[in-house]
Amino acid sequence: MNSNVLLSERDMQFLLYDVHAVDELTAFDYFSDHDRETFEQFLSACKRFARERMWPSYKQMDKEVPSFGEDARSGQRAICVHPRMGELYSQLANLGVLAASRPYDVGGSQLPITVSTAAMTWLMAGNLSAAGFAFLTTGAAHLVEAFGDTWLRTHFMKPMYAGRFTGTMALTEPHAGSSLADIRTSATHDSGGRYRIRGSKIFISGGANNFSDNIVHLTLARIEDSPAGTRGVSLFAVPKLRPEGDQWVPNDVQASQLIEKIGWKGLPSVVLDYGSEDDCIGWLVGRPNDGLSHMFQMMNEARILVGANAVATASVGYQESLEYAKSRPQGRLIDTEKGSTGPQVPIAQHPDVRRMLLRQKCIVTGGLSLVLETAKYQDIAAHGSSLTVRERAQILADFMTPLAKTFPAEWGYEANTLAVQVHGGYGYSSEYVVEALLRDQKLNSIHEGTTGLQGLDLLGRKILRDRGHGLQLWLETILGDLALAQATESPELKEYAAVLRAFVSQVQVTLRNLSSRTSLSSMLSHSTDMLLALCSFAVGWQWLKIVTQAERAADGGLQGTKCPHIRGLRHCAQYWFATEIPVAVAQLTRVDVADSSFLDCSLDSL
Amino acid sequence: MKILVTAKRVVDPDSKIQIADTQTSIELDDVDFRVNYFCENAIEAALELQDEHDAEVVVCSIGNEDAIQTIRTGLAMGGDRGILVEAEDEVLDGDLVARTLAKLYEQEKPDIFLLGKQAIDGDSNQVGQLLAEYLSLPQACFASNIDIIEDGAVARVEREVDGGIETIDVDLPCIITADLRLNEPRYASLPGIMKAKRKKIEEFELDDLELDTTLKVVTRSMELPAGRQAGVMVSDVDELVNKLKSEAKVL
Ligand SMILES: Cc1cc2nc3c(=O)[nH]c(=O)nc-3n(C[C@H](O)[C@H](O)[C@H](O)COP(=O)(O)OP(=O)(O)OC[C@H]3O[C@@H](n4cnc5c(N)ncnc54)[C@H](O)[C@@H]3O)c2cc1C
Repeated sequence: MNSNVLLSERDMQFLLYDVHAVDELTAFDYFSDHDRETFEQFLSACKRFARERMWPSYKQMDKEVPSFGEDARSGQRAICVHPRMGELYSQLANLGVLAASRPYDVGGSQLPITVSTAAMTWLMAGNLSAAGFAFLTTGAAHLVEAFGDTWLRTHFMKPMYAGRFTGTMALTEPHAGSSLADIRTSATHDSGGRYRIRGSKIFISGGANNFSDNIVHLTLARIEDSPAGTRGVSLFAVPKLRPEGDQWVPNDVQASQLIEKIGWKGLPSVVLDYGSEDDCIGWLVGRPNDGLSHMFQMMNEARILVGANAVATASVGYQESLEYAKSRPQGRLIDTEKGSTGPQVPIAQHPDVRRMLLRQKCIVTGGLSLVLETAKYQDIAAHGSSLTVRERAQILADFMTPLAKTFPAEWGYEANTLAVQVHGGYGYSSEYVVEALLRDQKLNSIHEGTTGLQGLDLLGRKILRDRGHGLQLWLETILGDLALAQATESPELKEYAAVLRAFVSQVQVTLRNLSSRTSLSSMLSHSTDMLLALCSFAVGWQWLKIVTQAERAADGGLQGTKCPHIRGLRHCAQYWFATEIPVAVAQLTRVDVADSSFLDCSLDSL
Repeated sequence: MKILVTAKRVVDPDSKIQIADTQTSIELDDVDFRVNYFCENAIEAALELQDEHDAEVVVCSIGNEDAIQTIRTGLAMGGDRGILVEAEDEVLDGDLVARTLAKLYEQEKPDIFLLGKQAIDGDSNQVGQLLAEYLSLPQACFASNIDIIEDGAVARVEREVDGGIETIDVDLPCIITADLRLNEPRYASLPGIMKAKRKKIEEFELDDLELDTTLKVVTRSMELPAGRQAGVMVSDVDELVNKLKSEAKVL
């Protein structure tokens, strides 16, 4: 397969160190052993690992998918993943990614989430299925770390962070996906913290493999006689092999089916059957009936990683189509005389192809910036110097998470279709890699809460229920950046700031009108429009910050406006304000107008 | 046992290279750097010996201040300490590098001096050999396997030669240069990177070493290879054979 740089390293560095000043975080105690050099060394190792080891196996893993076969270790029939997956996983563990941002006392390295997210972006760009095993394991181990007792930590968390066990997040059931209040998997008290688990889960990513010593499924289940709905859901650690005395014995949880799917092919998604022989033991993690809230405390992190993954997948497609467009000769320039038989020009010379390339770059770099900013608020929320600082950052992180997940997922999908489009018919052929990336990308608007649910979360929970408090704080933060931009000498920045300021006013008017509506369903009927409008606006804000920083770099004579990389960023900003913000304005108008066609149209008229 | 190993800082081949206006060097403002591939193999070999023979691994580099990062990468991979000899690339040639390394040898007296067989920027492939000559030590270049035998007195080295593998025994102390097939270098791990921050790196100026710094090789000019010409489609095998005969003149 061709080489692919995966991500623009220049953009990544400019965003991390200039726009988001991630080195500022080292002022907090928790990060004080770090400095820019440790960040750079780690990111460079991840970049190289992604380019040299992960990417070369990506396409094979897309083609040779997991299947039932004989597990060489036990001789039994089991789901076997791609033969190279085990090796990649242990190398990932050796890099130190599993516990990168966790505290020293659990074997971690106290790296800011902003940096570990950037590192993950490299790894996901290299091979998202291998990276998937890693971030699922980190998520599962983190749950045990946060809510489990010493026994659970020793038996499950430690081996997961050490790379010997893998982990999964087992929430979804066939009849309960978006609506987790309806899950039925049951837990009957056995002894101590032990419960007997029965039920089944679907779509569990990484639910089976033939390389790790054990798999710990962090499972949502309902303890007998607990209240109905979300208040009766508890969290359990259910291992594939359970400790009995000094032995690890099979725990009656089976991966009974592989889901055939269109992307993320290297990472098996399975149906898990618990307790078919009534011998499946789960350990309660945290408090009974608090399972969902425990799970949701980890959700921000997981959703930001979905955003990072979407950026990564869009970026690989962009880089692929950029190289293709530079080397594929086709047609002649529109300005050359008709009937000219001179040599054909590379398609990158055609205005429409150029548009598709720049649009992809805008989505990738703007999305990455939004993801990093959100991650930084998470770091501050967890380790900031005072309670006020932490609380404020937490509100911002919570508010921005649906944006940081949705923008890259939705626009990233568009970017991946553009990468296919740039390739013409070859893009539609499986010989080229861009179609695989498009298939991979689609998942990001579905898992960890669909775009529809993100919209409800943003407008319903984070704006209306919260009486606009989070939104207000967020807008104030943005207005602060607008004021900085307006105070510069740059006409370009002044103009962008004015555009965003007008948008802020429109948001405020829209909200006032919304809250005067009487029914909740009419308030929320355009929640996805609201989400998408704010996504695009948020990325406009990121472009303003990027250009502000580019100005500063030029003043400092550092990289200067002559530098092609900085020029590229400025053109992206110009494009976003000229082309995309007007669409966001129209989208916001939709929320205000609240057209009811789809509500009024009954199902038998559809 | 003590092993001295080199870590040259070179331009990352993923970067886009441009020739500077002077036509005698590469524009370094907008490129990335990395550890020379072959040096990475040498470091990996040193670290494997470190495990097996409880060896101390000293990572050294000659270059500008930024070469500290290259040394740091070697320390993050597992090296014990580092030595930097500060000098700009323009004032160096392969011969001066070899004589500088010879000074470090005399200072450190390692049992094995491991180097990459060449650097991927200059591609000269001379330093290991010159170093052995200056130190009058046995050399085993292009190593694809290293075993330490006879209680640490001898290195048995498989080396890649045209069309096969040659196995030679060299007495320690010796010079070994690494080829790509020697091993698969590990990546610096995050915990390793954190530990490396506390490892010692000694710094010298080239002038401290009292060497004759006159260069024997001076770069006169550089040019990029000509771009590849577009290919042509042939309609059948006959046409291909014809073209190979008449135009390419290879048949
Ligand atoms: C490849 C893959 C991997 C996955 N990995 C995991 C995993 O590791 N662990 C895990 O637990 N789950 C996993 N999932 C499951 C995933 O999280 C769910 O598919 C997702 O939550 C949606 O649930 P659902 O499929 O039941 O769809 P549904 O909930 O049936 O949703 C269908 C549609 O209805 C909309 N909808 C549903 N409810 C509402 C509402 N109240 N208001 C408005 N619209 C609504 C949705 O937005 C969606 O468009 C995975 C799924 C896939 C495809």
